[in-house]
Amino acid sequence: MKASSTRNVLKVALLSLVAVVGLSMTCSIGVAESATAKSGKGDAAKPAEKVIDPTDVNSVIYLDTSGKPAGVGDPNRPPSVAYRAGRGWHPAALSATNLPRDRYGLINWAQIVRDNLIKPRPSLDPTEEEMDPLDMDVLIEAKGDYVDNVIYPHKIHTYWLKCEVCHPQIFIPAQGQNNITMVGIVNGQWCGRCHSKIAFPLTDCKRCHSSPKKPPEAKK
Amino acid sequence: MRQSYALITCAIMAASVMFCGAAFAAHEPGPGKLVLDSKAASMSKAGVGPVVFPHDLHKQNLKCSECHPNIFKDQSKANDISMKKNMEGQFCGSPNCHNSPKAFPLYQCANCHTNVKGAK
Ligand code: HEC
Ligand code: HEC
Ligand code: HEC
Ligand code: HEC
Ligand code: HEC
Repeated sequence: MKASSTRNVLKVALLSLVAVVGLSMTCSIGVAESATAKSGKGDAAKPAEKVIDPTDVNSVIYLDTSGKPAGVGDPNRPPSVAYRAGRGWHPAALSATNLPRDRYGLINWAQIVRDNLIKPRPSLDPTEEEMDPLDMDVLIEAKGDYVDNVIYPHKIHTYWLKCEVCHPQIFIPAQGQNNITMVGIVNGQWCGRCHSKIAFPLTDCKRCHSSPKKPPEAKK
Repeated sequence: MRQSYALITCAIMAASVMFCGAAFAAHEPGPGKLVLDSKAASMSKAGVGPVVFPHDLHKQNLKCSECHPNIFKDQSKANDISMKKNMEGQFCGSPNCHNSPKAFPLYQCANCHTNVKGAK
């Protein structure tokens, strides 16, 4: 009604300007196609609205960590600086995809590999040879009579990592020779070098403690 | 990825600091504290001491019926608590308790156990 409302109108105008700019950028990247594909039923007014549906990953523009446009959420159409450089990451775009999640809502990278959903390049260096993952589980007996044992899977780790990442600095490659403790892991040693940092969090106990131990019979 | 993990970790840390700061400053079992040590042999193998459970603090913040009788029998040593069961979502690890952002996580051994070897 007074000065404040004029200011509000101005704000709205500014915001819609931003939205329109965003919209036109998205359009030029090629949402026109998907709009025609989806709206078969002749709702003349609606296609324009669909383009700015914020829940549609194809219509969102993501910024990379330095604030530059990194691309749209459509993995088949990544016209970004990062893409052209062949690397770079845009976490916001990742989180809008329908990749499988763990029980904390974090992207479940192990599941993605098991389900063959991605095909990462083995190396930035095209001449480097790709090694097949090492399919070897190592049983790590947990101290304590009732604590489930840990199965350490080489397969998923060597899908992502080279042997030298872990051997010999983090783990001596010999079963049972590392004197691992859970307290040490929580303090950032052994598995805690990565888990809770770049791999699934330590709160997800059962993903490591996956091999039930028979409790001692005498007690109950 | 990194960011979301960092966020989760922060949330957990914040929750745990708020929760345990007041309660676990001292490990001497004072009044209202229960010592849980039925599995002392197993605990010593793992390098941790008996659990001191601050019953008084839990009673302040929660209704008796939130724990008794569904999660814990209200009788000393009548519950067969172990880390296996905690991890599986029973007892201390019940879904709204130390397996959720509402309370510090199960991996903070020294918040529950005394004499934890190597704890910071
Ligand atoms: C990243 C894998 C991983 C996760 C996640 C994990 N642990 Fe462990 N845990 C281990 C390993 C490895 C050991 C070492 C086995 C041993 O020698 O006792 C271990 C050992 C233990 C032990 C035996 C005592 C000791 O210090 O060695 C307990 C108890 C334990 N973990 C509890 C937990 C709880 C509770 C959680 C969830 C909050 C958890 N762990 C999550 C890998 C893990
Ligand atoms: C993410 C870390 C990690 C990576 C990467 C890794 N390992 Fe291991 N490796 C381990 C752990 C943990 C153990 C178990 C140590 C223990 O039981 O204390 C182990 C054990 C071993 C053992 C001993 C097994 C036994 O039964 O005694 C061998 C051999 C081994 N690794 C070879 C390899 C090779 C070859 C590669 C690369 C293809 C590799 N590792 C990559 C973590 C890793
Ligand atoms: C060098 C980093 C690194 C170390 C050290 C490491 N991990 Fe991992 N771990 C990863 C990565 C990366 C993944 C795959 C991504 C994910 O699942 O979050 C993974 C995945 C796993 C999985 C697969 C979960 C599933 O759902 O299939 C298990 C189990 C696991 N780790 C256990 C361990 C244990 C036990 C140790 C210690 C003995 C350990 N890791 C040490 C990086 C590491
Ligand atoms: C956070 C869960 C929790 C809440 C809330 C709680 N208790 Fe308990 N209570 C326990 C646990 C754990 C034990 C130990 C059981 C054991 O030793 O196996 C216990 C033990 C007891 C015991 C037997 C041990 C003793 O002190 O002699 C009684 C009686 C009891 N509770 C009464 C109550 C009453 C009354 C309330 C409400 C004012 C209450 N509890 C609230 C968890 C709880
Ligand atoms: C939320 C509290 C809590 C936390 C955190 C906790 N514990 Fe426990 N723990 C208990 C209780 C309660 C018992 C059962 C005590 C009894 O009745 O003897 C127990 C029992 C144990 C036992 C003996 C039974 C068994 O499962 O073998 C071991 C070993 C153990 N804890 C190790 C650990 C380690 C290592 C950690 C850190 C990774 C840890 N605990 C974290 C509460 C906790």
